[in-house]
Amino acid sequence: MDKMTKIWNQSGFLDNDTWVIETEEVRAGEGERAIVGLETFLDTVEHSNESGFGVLLRPADDVARLAPHLDRIALVAISFPAFSDGRGFSHATLLRQRLGFTGEVRAVGDVLIDQVPLMLRTGFTSFAVSNPVALARLAENRLPGIAERYQPSAVPSTEAGGFSWRRIGGRGA
Amino acid sequence: MYRYDEFDHAFVSARVEQFRDQVTRRLSGEIAEDAFRPLRLMNGVYLQLHAYMLRVAIPYGTLNSKQMRMLAHIARRYDRGYGHFTTRQNIQYNWPKLSDTPDILAELASVEMHAIQTSGNCIRNVTADHFAGAAADEVADPRPYAEILRQWSSVHPEFSFLPRKFKIAVTGAPRDRAAIQVHDIGLHLKKNEAGELGFAVYVGGGQGRTPLVAKLIRDFLPEEDLLTYVTAIVRVYNLHGRRDNKYKARIKILVHETGVEEVTRQVEAEFQQIRESELKLPEGDIRAIETYFAPPALPDRADGWEALARAKKADGAFASWAAQNVQPHRHPDYGMVTISLKPIGGTPGDASDVQMEVVADVAERLAFDEIRVSHEQNLILPHVALGDLYAVYQALETSGLATANAGLITDIIACPGLDYCALANARSIPVAQEISTRFGSPERQAEIGELKIKISGCINACGHHHVGHIGLLGVEKKGAELYQITLGGSGDENTSIGEIIGRGFEPERVTDAIETIVDTYLGLRLEPKETFIDAYRRVGPKPFKEALYGQTAEAA
Repeated sequence: MDKMTKIWNQSGFLDNDTWVIETEEVRAGEGERAIVGLETFLDTVEHSNESGFGVLLRPADDVARLAPHLDRIALVAISFPAFSDGRGFSHATLLRQRLGFTGEVRAVGDVLIDQVPLMLRTGFTSFAVSNPVALARLAENRLPGIAERYQPSAVPSTEAGGFSWRRIGGRGA
Repeated sequence: MYRYDEFDHAFVSARVEQFRDQVTRRLSGEIAEDAFRPLRLMNGVYLQLHAYMLRVAIPYGTLNSKQMRMLAHIARRYDRGYGHFTTRQNIQYNWPKLSDTPDILAELASVEMHAIQTSGNCIRNVTADHFAGAAADEVADPRPYAEILRQWSSVHPEFSFLPRKFKIAVTGAPRDRAAIQVHDIGLHLKKNEAGELGFAVYVGGGQGRTPLVAKLIRDFLPEEDLLTYVTAIVRVYNLHGRRDNKYKARIKILVHETGVEEVTRQVEAEFQQIRESELKLPEGDIRAIETYFAPPALPDRADGWEALARAKKADGAFASWAAQNVQPHRHPDYGMVTISLKPIGGTPGDASDVQMEVVADVAERLAFDEIRVSHEQNLILPHVALGDLYAVYQALETSGLATANAGLITDIIACPGLDYCALANARSIPVAQEISTRFGSPERQAEIGELKIKISGCINACGHHHVGHIGLLGVEKKGAELYQITLGGSGDENTSIGEIIGRGFEPERVTDAIETIVDTYLGLRLEPKETFIDAYRRVGPKPFKEALYGQTAEAA
């Protein structure tokens, strides 16, 4: 991750995050933890007894392939190559609701402030942010979400009364 | 009609403030146009050829007089004194200032209206039969389900960044007046043999550059499964719809390329996983939403028959209007009135602030305070006592709202075209105006009978030309406008896509070409009752081609 990228979760910015998305050029170094692509992960996990893996899920990947290995995964990073590619919202939803994954789900890539509340609702718990406006808003904890929701989502939420599909939350998740 | 509760009010207000914040950031340059674009689109704000355009949602086309007066007020205060009713039962304002849009949305919120998801790659305003709750042939009112879908789809966290826009239409009658088979999802509300309510589910219809008729993927879906099943469809689409080419990104292409059997299999598999989830609709909730749409108490007005007969006898123009623009209501003493927004030579779908006020007054006084917008760009008063028809007519007539042409050749659908739209190749409105003027005489229109002309100024097909009995598509060829003609399209329960008849016509020749087609039809129909579309389906394109291009002409 480049220097401008910061990791945020609902308790604030993390200054000791050690996850690194591995690429051809970038490798996790001393004291760092690797996030590897789905194929690499599936390959590695077959031949090891380790756990605590980090996996990168790209938009075209099938999240169901993680199902047999969930207890050995610590973090799933879901990538948004462009903010307009909304497949990651379904990946997160399925990961939480269908597969019951309880580890960290991180949004990486083109993460913008207006999408963060929706991401929180679909089960993302941390965000790799480099957009300056998003960084500033998150620093002030000013999330542009809406408390009233017309649908249940991956995150446990309070029923709002009225109709069964309504929920109530905060400005974020 | 549906009334907001505290929750809805809080939601819409929060949404207005959210958008105000986004606009403020845009105006200060904190947010780039690129990132702002999807946000403004999901609040109905487009950037058009000359200005921003605001598209306000009129859910399933239903509104009351108070809301109509607000639309008039917005036209007056923030625009140029008029608005344009659209084929998705919405209204567009063509000249608002971006900086005014949060205030406009706040004003709309005060009358329980919004502009949420009238644009963008998300689930759009859900449309329904404009005669819902009044039509004699209706099995059940589709609007409660449209309202449930509206709520569920509003700011949906998973489905706000779909590959492309997503349109759902619901009808509750065997006669399809909502064109459900040219929607991403078409829902046909019906009863099974046990008398239970449910839906036939169609998927993958659409117009645009690849017109396709939707495929039936479920013959009967119990009403309780509405949201889970629709979720399954949209999830499959969100994950697998194409994102590499925006012209191939609609669900119709996924269905077409993957095959309806495979898409159905995926949808059913996903549905089985979530069928018993929190989204399964409790009977009580459906019935509670339904009560909002209970029809008004319509007292018997048998006296109206005589009054109507008397007025028709005394006023020939009223008699033609009543014959053409009033449809039978399920209550025999009432009628359903179409207020034509297609004055001869006018702009289809436009209404001035004054006209909107007149419609609001008439609705409040004589029509149980209910107004509808039809996808054919007219307004509807769904409940008018026969005995009040003459009074309604007179009030409308003085404001140019009593054109007796519902369903006739001058009842033209047209997109805004090159006069407003940044995408258009051609000017739809002047063509519509010229055709309307040419065929404007009441006698001639009556002689021709039902004939739907639909005009699009570009391949995106906002004017629904693919399903016009006669469709006109504006194309650009070597820097000049040209109109391609399609014949035999239809957007009802017998949906068909029109066929291109041959090479296109220059703007100054297109009305003559329409006239040739109409004269050909008049010459070959078996009897006056055989409509244009029936005659076309009987004889096919050949006689029309010959009339337009000569015996030896080849289709271009």
